[in-house]
Amino acid sequence: MTREEIVITINTVFEESFEIEPERLVPDANIFLDLGLDSLDTVDLVVAIQKKFGVQIRDDERVRSIRTLGDVYQFIEVIYNEKKA
Amino acid sequence: MKRVVITGMGAVTPLGGSVSETIQALDEHRHAIRRCPELEACKGLRSWLAAPAELKNEKLIPRQNRRSMSRMSIFAAQAALEASQQAGYQPELFSPGKVGCIAGSTTPSPITIHQIYETFIPTRDFGLIQAMQFFQSMSHTVAMNLAQYLGLQGRFLSTNAACASGLQAIGTAYELIRAGSQEAIFCGGAEEFHSTVTGVFDMLLAASTKYNDDPDHASRPFDAARDGLVCGEGAGILFLEEREHALARGATIYGEILGFDTCSGGTHISESNRECIAQCMRQVLANAECSPSDIGYISAHATATLQGDGEEAAAIHAVFSDTVPVSSLKGHLGHTLGASGPIEMIASLVGLRKNKIYPTRNLTSVAPECQGIRHVAEIETTQATCFMKNSFAFGGINASLVCKID
Repeated sequence: MTREEIVITINTVFEESFEIEPERLVPDANIFLDLGLDSLDTVDLVVAIQKKFGVQIRDDERVRSIRTLGDVYQFIEVIYNEKKA
Repeated sequence: MKRVVITGMGAVTPLGGSVSETIQALDEHRHAIRRCPELEACKGLRSWLAAPAELKNEKLIPRQNRRSMSRMSIFAAQAALEASQQAGYQPELFSPGKVGCIAGSTTPSPITIHQIYETFIPTRDFGLIQAMQFFQSMSHTVAMNLAQYLGLQGRFLSTNAACASGLQAIGTAYELIRAGSQEAIFCGGAEEFHSTVTGVFDMLLAASTKYNDDPDHASRPFDAARDGLVCGEGAGILFLEEREHALARGATIYGEILGFDTCSGGTHISESNRECIAQCMRQVLANAECSPSDIGYISAHATATLQGDGEEAAAIHAVFSDTVPVSSLKGHLGHTLGASGPIEMIASLVGLRKNKIYPTRNLTSVAPECQGIRHVAEIETTQATCFMKNSFAFGGINASLVCKID
């Protein structure tokens, strides 16, 4: 999966699950302050990502440091590459 | 004791997305029973009919509130908003912690429970279950979502006694305001349709199975040709308020609740019992300090089951003889289960305020076991001001309430 495909898939999750308009889905957007997610949303974000990418990230400590949408893209890219390796 | 009045009403029903749409449909004698492909697709299910409500405008509810709502909680929120607007509810007009929330449903969201197990059973993977599905599958999902949506901080209770859930919520709210512990309470019931709900009634031989090709005539309470109920969905929410409080803020009063009772029959897990129903109605009359002659209309529970309708008719005959007009609105609405009490109470109240009694749809030949009471088979003009609403539930649960229009 390319970086572009990861971005499209993640953005789809934010549009479908959290009803965020596409134009607000920019890498610098803080998922809490700018996009309005809270702790419960992050639980469902993890579930949605696990379903979309076939990965297990619920216990991954790196999830806790995610702040921006760009952090999500980067994290998934790393995870996806780790899985592939 | 305080007096308790109704200052707001809201409903989402199989006949419309508001009280006025529902009343208009009743005025036009329309019904909401449809053949349902979802049911036809189920093996072993013989009843293919339902009375669905339309889910619309749900995105007007903020996502932060809506995310934990299933269909039934959305219906309840929409009905509560209508009741709130009619009541002119403004939190600052009430004391802190004195506006409560009491609501119920037969079960938590059957749709969400289905989705959870559809995901979990083949995978055994909890990592695929969403947090929000949990909040939709808790027993108090309707009441808690309502309280969150409206920001209510008063008394909270979830009444989950199947088809009596909604009327128990209203009755309990009435008792709390009457005792002076709350100034107002949003109360009522909600329900959502799913094949498992109809499946339960079909399994228990209580669902209509002979009218799959004739939905217009399927739901026929008290009628000789009835063969069971048709499941519906929706929500009915009332805003009950202490009378002096309502008067002080200049609210419009639509009706007053005079008495309530609910009891467990203790005789059979599924069959209605005429003595227990009669006892419940007698007790509510005593609580309301009314005599049978004070009641000008009875909005029956009658769901069109073979056993239940006969027992209710016999109980009404025992208490009221054949003097009081009786009808069941389930011929129009189907059986909206936990929402049926509030929805039918609202429809009855609005009808009486328009000097109308809405009839039992499809009642063309009263069954022998349902005779001895005064059935209403066509819209009647009335001067009645006081009515009784009945709701009964599996488990031998009975609930009755007396209301007077204002």
